[in-house]
Amino acid sequence: MLKAHSSVTALLRYTGISIPDKVATCRNITCMQHLFGAVRWRSKFTAAPLLTAQPARALIDEQIAIQGRFLPPHWPVTVRAHMHSEEGDLWEAFSHYKTNENGVVNLTTDHSVGGSYVGCEPMGLFWALQPAPSAREGLRLRKKDVETPYVVQLSLWEGHVSSSKRPIEDEQTAGRLAASTVERWYMTPHTRRVEIRQNGIVGTLFLPSGPGPFPAMVDLWGMGGGLNEYRSALFASKGIASLSLAYFGHKDIPGPLDELNVGDDYFRSAYNLLQDHPEVCGERIGLIGLSYGVYLVLRMATHIGVKPMCVIGINGPLGSYDKFPGIKSGDVVNYQMLDEHGNFSLRHFTMPSMIPKENQIKFEMLECPLLCIVGEDDYNCASMETANEIEEILRAAGKAQLFTRLSYPGAGHLIEPPYSPNARVSLWTVKPKKINAIWGGHPAPHAAAQEDAWKKMLDFIEYNLRK
Amino acid sequence: MSGSSVLLSVQPSRGLVDEPFRVAVAHLPPAEPVTLHCLHRSEDRHLWEAYGHYRSDQAGSVDGSEDESFGGTYTGKERMGLLWSMRPVPGSMRGLRLRKMHVDTPMVVLISVYRGHLTEGFRERPPMASVVAERWYLAPGVKRIEVAERGVIGTFFIPPGPGPFPGMLDMWGGGGGLVEYRSALLASHGFAAMALKYLDPDKSVDSEVGIGYFETAFQIIQEHPQVMADRVGILGLSFGTAVALTVAAYSKIARPRCCVCISGSHVYPINLPRDRMMLEMARNEGIVQMDEENNVIWRHRILPITKDPNLKVDVGRIECPLLLINGDDDQNWATVESAEDIANMMSVAGNKHLLTTLTYPRAGHLIEPPFTPHIRASNFIVHHTKQKVVLLWGGETKAHADAQEHSWKRILTFLREYLYIQPSRASQAKL
Repeated sequence: MLKAHSSVTALLRYTGISIPDKVATCRNITCMQHLFGAVRWRSKFTAAPLLTAQPARALIDEQIAIQGRFLPPHWPVTVRAHMHSEEGDLWEAFSHYKTNENGVVNLTTDHSVGGSYVGCEPMGLFWALQPAPSAREGLRLRKKDVETPYVVQLSLWEGHVSSSKRPIEDEQTAGRLAASTVERWYMTPHTRRVEIRQNGIVGTLFLPSGPGPFPAMVDLWGMGGGLNEYRSALFASKGIASLSLAYFGHKDIPGPLDELNVGDDYFRSAYNLLQDHPEVCGERIGLIGLSYGVYLVLRMATHIGVKPMCVIGINGPLGSYDKFPGIKSGDVVNYQMLDEHGNFSLRHFTMPSMIPKENQIKFEMLECPLLCIVGEDDYNCASMETANEIEEILRAAGKAQLFTRLSYPGAGHLIEPPYSPNARVSLWTVKPKKINAIWGGHPAPHAAAQEDAWKKMLDFIEYNLRK
Repeated sequence: MSGSSVLLSVQPSRGLVDEPFRVAVAHLPPAEPVTLHCLHRSEDRHLWEAYGHYRSDQAGSVDGSEDESFGGTYTGKERMGLLWSMRPVPGSMRGLRLRKMHVDTPMVVLISVYRGHLTEGFRERPPMASVVAERWYLAPGVKRIEVAERGVIGTFFIPPGPGPFPGMLDMWGGGGGLVEYRSALLASHGFAAMALKYLDPDKSVDSEVGIGYFETAFQIIQEHPQVMADRVGILGLSFGTAVALTVAAYSKIARPRCCVCISGSHVYPINLPRDRMMLEMARNEGIVQMDEENNVIWRHRILPITKDPNLKVDVGRIECPLLLINGDDDQNWATVESAEDIANMMSVAGNKHLLTTLTYPRAGHLIEPPFTPHIRASNFIVHHTKQKVVLLWGGETKAHADAQEHSWKRILTFLREYLYIQPSRASQAKL
């Protein structure tokens, strides 16, 4: 890419090499070759296409319009997205297009004919991201630091290429025509993040910008443990305060890390903290849970004396499959929780008939609307059977009007905020040996489910918390 | 109605300066009068604001992109009115101008919704809701390189990607200094753009630069490994126009592929002998006028347009496409009359087919990137006398905002047409 008549200073600046004063700088390009290695020559008359992405700094659930221009007409091109996770793993996606008669490729309207996804998928490059062939196994893409964005590099390539045969290195510029950078954020500007470590509660509170008071959500995840902030950060970016609550597997919660050591008092304290917060409207609080978190939010809504305005449950059981509190993740070692392939799955143990009666939620005590979100390809939890059972119990109790179900064919267990990749299988534990969890879900239907469920979740929250 | 039910949103919350946004309010009572308000604290610590009066519809919504403002700093259906109609808050000092000097951080604006139709006291009461939006001059991935080479001072902005990119030499006017934001924005649209410093407000007039300085700057752009040497254009505003036209007409070394001149004139070329220049300027001092607010009007200094060819750039020699952008209420320089004269000269010389002129009714002198506030008059330090005046730039706010929005789109289209290459057949493209 270096030109025949490049100035020496330009070369030095471009390559970042500095030459000590004593070395006489030769202003002849062939002399430079000894310093820089082989130089790739380019004619003055080569054409450069343009790759644009708008907006270039987007919220995670915002669509980005990607377009390539100044290409030859009816020409095969590849658009590649790549990024590094916080752990340093390389994720990438490819899509294969043909430019139209004007030499334009528009990912909002055109159809991909191959690569990581096919069809018209404006955000396919993001939800179809996969670990690169060189990456570690069993990965799942999750953001820990929600105050910084994911930086995704987009690039335009000649022809239909992908990494399947050999990895594409950034230094290999042959065929790479143009590039663009986008940032994907979990937080809008001036959404506030507040660490909560009081009254024994371990969590993170996200507050929207503005004077408040705000409606609020309590946000619970599953038995993976820890503290997952990204969904709460997004809620706050939409004007809804949200408390991500840790309850298991967090170093700031007393007790063994592999045991659930908190009980009803803990969740009641968390709810009260939110209710009493000066920037939260105490009468407008809802609950959301995923997986085991669904049991916990349903228990909060029916058993501990608080009155949320609505509950959202994503792929959860209708009761605790083991004693609560006291459930242990070490029970995974119990081989009964491994399916025939040796993957961790709770499908069997979360079938309604398998849940001990004393651990089941008393749905007849439910007083507020419940949105049940089901991935029909959920391999980890018996979500569909659970939803059926919940609907039956509520109907029998004369409360059918409280129940809404969203059921997505082809979607798996991990229905997360939109345009994020799904992990069909991911590493669950390495002790005492390496075990994967199987979550289920096929890329395209799972992506469609995430996009649709997110919109409907936000509508449900808006309707129930703002009226 | 408690504040918690009202939802205010801005989308995108992080946009480029020239990207439109949508401000929307939901969950208001129906037919509720509200005020949308925008507040900005500039880099020099002054407060700017704009506001519009709306009424929610039957569903309790206000959509800043679709609904009409009944009053405030803008009226009518104006989705970007909250930005371009900003002005210094009451009590501010006179003659302020809003400019972003550090492009690596965004302009931050606070958008709020207030109950009722307010015209003042925005900071004395809490809004129903507020959100923050960022407005960036720089897209992610654009590289900023400081240039101090062969005597040339400037800042180079290179888009992300392998390139090669078309190049732009970007020059501002007689205010001097190094102003980067337009170059940053051009680079965010795929042009390798260099903002050039050629007038130092702190230096004396004797150290002014000649045409060789601009030729060297042009060459530095051409020589960058990621720039297509035969696809470099020149953009100038105000005095920068005189530079651009002089280079385009006379330079044998710097041959721009195309030229954009905003609010400028071909009177006087920058390679005029210095003593002749001083004579002309002394003669024109008496033609300076003031308006009723003591704002200084320079418009008439070059009127009538001289017939002496030695005092004008010989635009008949220009060989590249030329786009002139002027406001017909320009009170600082007689740009419309100059454009007419340029057209006549090019007609006589036979190169008029290269000329496109856009004259915007009731727009002023400072035609800048879109959605930035209209500045009708502002503080200025006259370069050769160091005198502090308030210069009248002219323009009416709404018409000027329209001119900025329209002209920027036309500039980008013009630059893409002449600097980017549209391959017509795959075999012709050596990619």
